[in-house]
Amino acid sequence: MKIISKEDFSSFVNALIQDDGLDVEGVKAKGNKFVFGPLDSAGELRLDYDVTILPPKKYFLPQYETMMHFDISTGTVTAPPITNKKVIIGIHPYDLAAIQQMDKYFFDTHVDDIYLQKRKNSILVGIVPVNASETAFYGDLAKASGGPADIAFDLMLTDLGNNYAVLPGSQIGAELLAKANVRDAQPQEMEAVKGAQLHAMDKASRGLKVGPKGWHALLTRNYDSGIWSEQAEKCLSCGSCTLVCPTCFCYDVTDELNLDLTSGVRQRTWDGCLLRDFTKVAPGEVFREDIKDRYRHRFNRKGKYLPDALGFVACVGCGRCSSQCVPDIADPLNLFNMLSESTTESVPDADVQHVPEKHDLAQTIGADLYVPRPATLRRVVKLTEKETLFEIALDDGQPLGHQPGQFVEVSIMGVGEAPISVSSAPGGNTFQIVVRNIGDVTSALHAKKEGDKIGIRGPFGNGFDTAVLKGKNLLFIGGGLGIVPMRSLINYVLDNRQDFGKVMILYGCKDPTELLFNEEVKKWEARDDVIMHKTVDTCAEGETWDGQIGVITTIMPLVTFDPMNTYAIVVGPPIMYRFVNRDLLSMGMPEQNIIVSLERRMKCGVGKCGHCQINGIYVCKEGPVFNYKDVKEHPEAFS
Amino acid sequence: MSDKPRVAFFDFSSCEGCQLQVINLEEALLDVLALVDIVEFREAMKESSEEYDIAIIEGSITRPMDVERIKKIRERASILIAMGACAYLGGIQRMGNKWTPEENKEEVYARHPGSETTKGDDNPFFEQPRHRAVDEIVKVDAVIPGCPIDSDEFAKVLVALLTGKKLPIPDYPVCVECKKNENICQFEIGGFCMGPVARAGCGAPCPTHGGECEACRGYVDHPHSQAHDEVLKKYGLTAEQIMNRKTMYTYRYIEEARGE
Repeated sequence: MKIISKEDFSSFVNALIQDDGLDVEGVKAKGNKFVFGPLDSAGELRLDYDVTILPPKKYFLPQYETMMHFDISTGTVTAPPITNKKVIIGIHPYDLAAIQQMDKYFFDTHVDDIYLQKRKNSILVGIVPVNASETAFYGDLAKASGGPADIAFDLMLTDLGNNYAVLPGSQIGAELLAKANVRDAQPQEMEAVKGAQLHAMDKASRGLKVGPKGWHALLTRNYDSGIWSEQAEKCLSCGSCTLVCPTCFCYDVTDELNLDLTSGVRQRTWDGCLLRDFTKVAPGEVFREDIKDRYRHRFNRKGKYLPDALGFVACVGCGRCSSQCVPDIADPLNLFNMLSESTTESVPDADVQHVPEKHDLAQTIGADLYVPRPATLRRVVKLTEKETLFEIALDDGQPLGHQPGQFVEVSIMGVGEAPISVSSAPGGNTFQIVVRNIGDVTSALHAKKEGDKIGIRGPFGNGFDTAVLKGKNLLFIGGGLGIVPMRSLINYVLDNRQDFGKVMILYGCKDPTELLFNEEVKKWEARDDVIMHKTVDTCAEGETWDGQIGVITTIMPLVTFDPMNTYAIVVGPPIMYRFVNRDLLSMGMPEQNIIVSLERRMKCGVGKCGHCQINGIYVCKEGPVFNYKDVKEHPEAFS
Repeated sequence: MSDKPRVAFFDFSSCEGCQLQVINLEEALLDVLALVDIVEFREAMKESSEEYDIAIIEGSITRPMDVERIKKIRERASILIAMGACAYLGGIQRMGNKWTPEENKEEVYARHPGSETTKGDDNPFFEQPRHRAVDEIVKVDAVIPGCPIDSDEFAKVLVALLTGKKLPIPDYPVCVECKKNENICQFEIGGFCMGPVARAGCGAPCPTHGGECEACRGYVDHPHSQAHDEVLKKYGLTAEQIMNRKTMYTYRYIEEARGE
């Protein structure tokens, strides 16, 4: 630990500001509040601040961030320019902890290269808080977790009156400090630093009754508590609590096309689960329509969902949400205290940390996660009034390499991206998708013809586990567009027919005009090793139809099978699952023998943007194919 | 003749500030002209035309003669856009709907000194039965909210219409953009803000420059107005003040709730 006088610290900061290769950011006053912003001189720094309006996440996931530039006329996509190296001065430990959580989130499974670039380019200078806001409770969290967390920083300051104590936390920090006029700290100064840390904790302690490890159980037990609707009655659904939160990372993606109609940018911008259109999909369905559901989701994500997925509690006690919530219902401390008061028995600790381990940035490598691969439409076949089949080849000549049930993000620059299930069986240098013309991307795709270029990302997600299905009887139950992803598995099974037992296909749609894959369906019907039944909800007079009439559950009794040795693959609209699964279970089929594929708003496809969550599950990453047994515990799955 | 869509601007009861915002596109206006032919735009050119594809309407529909005029425009246009708070919501003049047409006429044209000349006049220009938004009279294909409109949003709507995309008008509240701008919340500094229920897309310029949001872009599709009323009450407004707070640009919703 080193000691630097405040005067020398100012000179040190001013010297950094003079360095053209470096952007120096720090905490400054804004009215009677504080913000992180660019520094013109060290004199602007307000290291005695309590909390900033927005957390430093804005440096790594900016409010509006260009992901790529595009030019439709030339078909080019270019990365945004690399930002200058930044020094960010005055980050409180709770915000550093949040950055550590952010690292874990953005590097999990798929490394977000846009985030990584900004993160690698930043030097973090922390400071032990001198003041705490009225709503902060990071002291409670630290005490409940047995002391301050092990957090990553490059330099850590402690205000000792006329001096700062400075602790380097990295090689970069040590190198930076070498430019400053410092001396070694005396033992009493080291003691003073410890005292300052304890003082900071005390200032931000408000009486949390159950520590963060107990939140998991509190939330599980109180999922159906009346507290959620009572609180949500006051909720404006304005999204402020999530926007100002250092551990809320969800974003939306939009394409901004310039007036020349050829150039533009794809950008991402902060989004939040409290906002109504967060879960809205193109056909208009909103998966969390009730404010209560959205309000509850936010707390569950913090105390249960992210702990389950990534092992940390996604709240650092900064108190921003509660200070920004005008009806005053966003405070996690209040909410968890309310939950604990309504829970009579004591709650066990979940096996989670408050802050995940430090991330080794140098060892983290990212590739273009969001840049689509150029692809060409090889064949375009109109199937029905609204649905068209597109056969696609990647321009690099590589096969897609997908598993049945996986999906791709279809990208049309200037319009956007849409998640689309792959409909063809694995193999070959082309793949097929079948798309309903319903939103911006799908209608732009429908306007394209053979030979036109599109972009493809993926394949993404978990498909059908064909190894598990091997040797079993298979009962396919498809409703409406559900036949599209299901077809990739049906054709895989038929390509490898000897590996499977009995194959039964039940396919239902609204009316005969909506029947997809007519010719293929006829072939399935003609095979003597496939039992096939089809039905329509209604059939208009004069319409030709050689199948059954009635909803899909009415044709289920037409097939007989041993429920113990049969797997049901169920894909269809949300309403279908409830009735089909109910009937399958009543026929004696074990829960683990039911396989479903679920649909949500999968915007990024790689588990970052947050839109597709079913309770704590990221459908794009853990699904879209699920075992019913695993997903049924999640109330939002079939609601 | 080019094959570009022909655009005509028409103004009804309004200050014509939204048309000014289109002119304020400045250089970008040249890009607009590369996409469309403007055939009528009283604020910017002297030519006019009765043949157009896209009609852009500014202003509320107020007098019987306005109703006839907007219906004729609708017949000629294949796309009709309501531009600005007056056309979209009825404008601040809609507050006049609180009183009867007779009361308004008496108040505006008869009660004050010097108004003797207009008293009892049956000139149709003085007729103002009700202030209505354009879509209450004819079908509207697109709206550009705001008082005035945002120039960039005008360009975005045009791009969306020309490329067949969904209109880029957000359905989240102004708080979202206000927070992204890292503003101090108006409620914290004694303001009574409509931001939590007001439709965003403007970039929250009013709170960013120290003012309250007046909801000039109307409400989001599902405003939680009851919760918002509670907040206004909590911060010290009386029921009457709350009602007044909600009439400036958004009296339309009050009328609709009453079934008027």
